[in-house]
Amino acid sequence: MAYSEKVVDHYNNPRNVGSLSKEDPNVGTGLVGAPECGDVMKLQMKINPDTKVIEEAKFKTFGCGSAIASSSLATEWVKGKTVEEALSIKNTDIVRELSLPPVKIHCSVLAEDAIKAAIGDWKKKHGVDVPASEKPSH
Amino acid sequence: MTAPLTETNPPQVCWNCHERTSGTHFCASCGKLLQMPQAVDYFALFEMSRKLWIEMDGLEQKFLQLSWKLHPDNFVNATEQERELSLKRSSELNDAYRTLRDPVGRVEYLLGIEGARKEGEHKQQAPPELLEEVFELNESLDELREAKAARSDLAALRSRLESAEKNFQGKLGEVDAQLQVAAREWDAALSGDAATRKKIMAQLNGLLNRRSYIRNLVTNVQKELL
Repeated sequence: MAYSEKVVDHYNNPRNVGSLSKEDPNVGTGLVGAPECGDVMKLQMKINPDTKVIEEAKFKTFGCGSAIASSSLATEWVKGKTVEEALSIKNTDIVRELSLPPVKIHCSVLAEDAIKAAIGDWKKKHGVDVPASEKPSH
Repeated sequence: MTAPLTETNPPQVCWNCHERTSGTHFCASCGKLLQMPQAVDYFALFEMSRKLWIEMDGLEQKFLQLSWKLHPDNFVNATEQERELSLKRSSELNDAYRTLRDPVGRVEYLLGIEGARKEGEHKQQAPPELLEEVFELNESLDELREAKAARSDLAALRSRLESAEKNFQGKLGEVDAQLQVAAREWDAALSGDAATRKKIMAQLNGLLNRRSYIRNLVTNVQKELL
């Protein structure tokens, strides 16, 4: 199976690889996985408590090229967005942008789950109730 | 799950003599090779209940017997329909044997037909502790990779990789042992109540998920050791 050009680009030059301090109260961490293929994805974002803008985003993914590309793209997309805007990112947007084939759709779902999990973690730190719809869905 | 645990399949109507027959492979009335019934699963194909402990010699013998009977060579002079049937059923028999022979494949298959394991578009959940652990193990493997790329002390690195492999293999062994225990529990609960069966299936499912993560780690560390 051939990867699309955009997947290859993100795979070869992943954006925002790394990690942020889990202990930082302004950092939300999302760790999600797809057991069928053994992928794990960690996505972290640093959120300004006043403006609710995501100022920084980092990821580390152990998985296939599509999983890496999906999480790399997700960090690019969430940066500069508010929490609410970031929550509106759908896995189908990622599928479209990266031209993922049907067998790789779960990689984009994983990235969407990671965004939601990270924001959920941040909200928990700030004592905000997390509605069920924002918890990672499976 | 209320699937009947009968050893044989529900009767079907023979395509040749139109009699209702209870045979699995051949019509009890006219002896013709039967069509594959829709509901048949690999366990039923071998006329076994859905037990996870399978006696290998018995399975192999049954496989050899059946493949002999279903073999396309026996049907060279038969009608086209029978020749096709024999081909289809032989290939299915091979798939069934391959699946049931593999202890892990067998569990996966069982959970699939019991409706407890949905493949594909993200239906599985992994517990957070498992994700943490797998993430950390992956990170240590990553460090080793980086050290390898930097051409640091290769002998020391090799021994670290080898001990990582041993560690992962050990974990794989643990999961496999746990799978065996759960498989025995499944067999014991086969005719028990649905709730117990469901609980054991969830356990088996979780173990399979854990196994697939650890299996990946073993493969990855072995790649680095080549």
